[in-house]
Amino acid sequence: MDRIAGTEVRSVNCGEEIEEIGVDSLQFGEEIRRLMAAPTHTGSSFAALLELPANQVMELLNSPDTVRTPASLAGDHHVIERPSRFSVFAAAEMSTETSSIPSNSTPHSHVVKLEPVNSDSNPNSSDPMAENDNRKSTKRKEREKKGTGSTKQSKSVANESSGDGEKLPYVHVRARRGQATDSHSLAERARREKINARMKLLQELVPGCNKISGTAMVLDEIINHVQSLQHQVELLSMRLAAVNPRIDVNLDSLLAAESGSPMDTNFPGMVMPMMWPEGQGYGNRQQYEQLWYFDGLHQPVLGREDNASFITPETSLLSYDSSKDSGEFRFDMQFSVPFYFFLL
Amino acid sequence: MRNPSSLKQEILKKWVMGLQICSSSKKEMTILERKKAIKLSADIAMASARNASKYWSRALIANASKQDENKALLDHILGCDLEKIKKKSSIVSIKRKKIVLRSKKILKKRVKNIGVASYIAKRLVKKRTQLLKRLVPGGESMDELSLMEETLDYIVSLRAQVDVMRHLANASMHLDHKVSSSMDQMLL
Repeated sequence: MDRIAGTEVRSVNCGEEIEEIGVDSLQFGEEIRRLMAAPTHTGSSFAALLELPANQVMELLNSPDTVRTPASLAGDHHVIERPSRFSVFAAAEMSTETSSIPSNSTPHSHVVKLEPVNSDSNPNSSDPMAENDNRKSTKRKEREKKGTGSTKQSKSVANESSGDGEKLPYVHVRARRGQATDSHSLAERARREKINARMKLLQELVPGCNKISGTAMVLDEIINHVQSLQHQVELLSMRLAAVNPRIDVNLDSLLAAESGSPMDTNFPGMVMPMMWPEGQGYGNRQQYEQLWYFDGLHQPVLGREDNASFITPETSLLSYDSSKDSGEFRFDMQFSVPFYFFLL
Repeated sequence: MRNPSSLKQEILKKWVMGLQICSSSKKEMTILERKKAIKLSADIAMASARNASKYWSRALIANASKQDENKALLDHILGCDLEKIKKKSSIVSIKRKKIVLRSKKILKKRVKNIGVASYIAKRLVKKRTQLLKRLVPGGESMDELSLMEETLDYIVSLRAQVDVMRHLANASMHLDHKVSSSMDQMLL
């Protein structure tokens, strides 16, 4: 809940600042508010925080990779003062989210994030360059060292970053107090933060990893999980191989008919390839070479006309095959029910 | 999240295609060969369901293509993508290796004086990451960052693959039961 309070406070403070600054940055401020209002879910996951699906999160995490991270940190000439603060703030929104997650888990948050921003905007600065953070202190490298720069450039950067929301042209990293601020260590720090973010995602994916703390243990769990999944694949393939001597699958007509239509909805409604078990001893096995089983749920799921075209070749096949033993086929067709789980 | 059921469906479709090819090629197979064929088809299906957008899938396909006997299978499932994938994987892997080696050299220069505990911790983590690299296909030539990503993706795909295979195995078992019981009834 602290996070929500924090974000709300931030948004309020930011609002005040905006009035101070003036009309130009109004639109900019709205975008910031939007950005900040977004992560008000108490989602514990990084993805939920960003309100992005996981794959987009991956892309998001990827995009800073393509950015010249060390160069941006070293040569940040056009970031300055209030506009700089906003740009840092907006662009670092994403990176602060990532690093604030570790801060949630580790109570001793010497990792800054929210507080300094509040403290900065609280004084309602007559002095915007107030940097006296009594609490967790951060050095605003961009502001202190780089004094000059064009505000227009910074605003465009910030606009781009806040409007886009997902593609960050620069990765802004705040240097901790007492740490070196050269580009290498900052880049390393950014890299470590990225790794930690992905580790968090992995922790959520692998069941039972949430409570474990410590990279080594988490990696252990992940390795175990991957190994177990791979073993399961082996076992299942062995099982399937043992089920029948011949992998008789006839999908020619199905795939040919299906190629013209979207697969997703039609496919599960269609058929299941038949792996005929061996050693039944009944002599008329050849007739069961090609068997088609309807998924009985195809009616409710796929109320489309396409079905009709798919069904006909198969019914014809069935009728052909069942010429002699019609009894079994009827009763087999009613076995579509166990295959409902094929409706994946 | 990408639609998990559509992923499964695609895996199933491609897998069945692969199985079909396997069965049409040989008539008599020992159980081990069958198992290998099944697993191979499943793996390739899983990899191609990603459309080679991830490194591990490309590596998987590249490994499979090294053996000539799999050529037909691969061709059928992947179509024309096979050459593209091969090119991508060879180029990218070389580049990545160079980058990884260079970055490791740079990082090594900045070794600082650390305490013993963190040293041990780092050793542990390093061992684990090496293990993980061996597990994930194509993982050796990746830096940590992308390794994490690939692992994420790989786990999701593995889960989908296991689900698909399990469904099929269960279905065929059910079928076995019902049909055999009905056959018995008939024969009696």
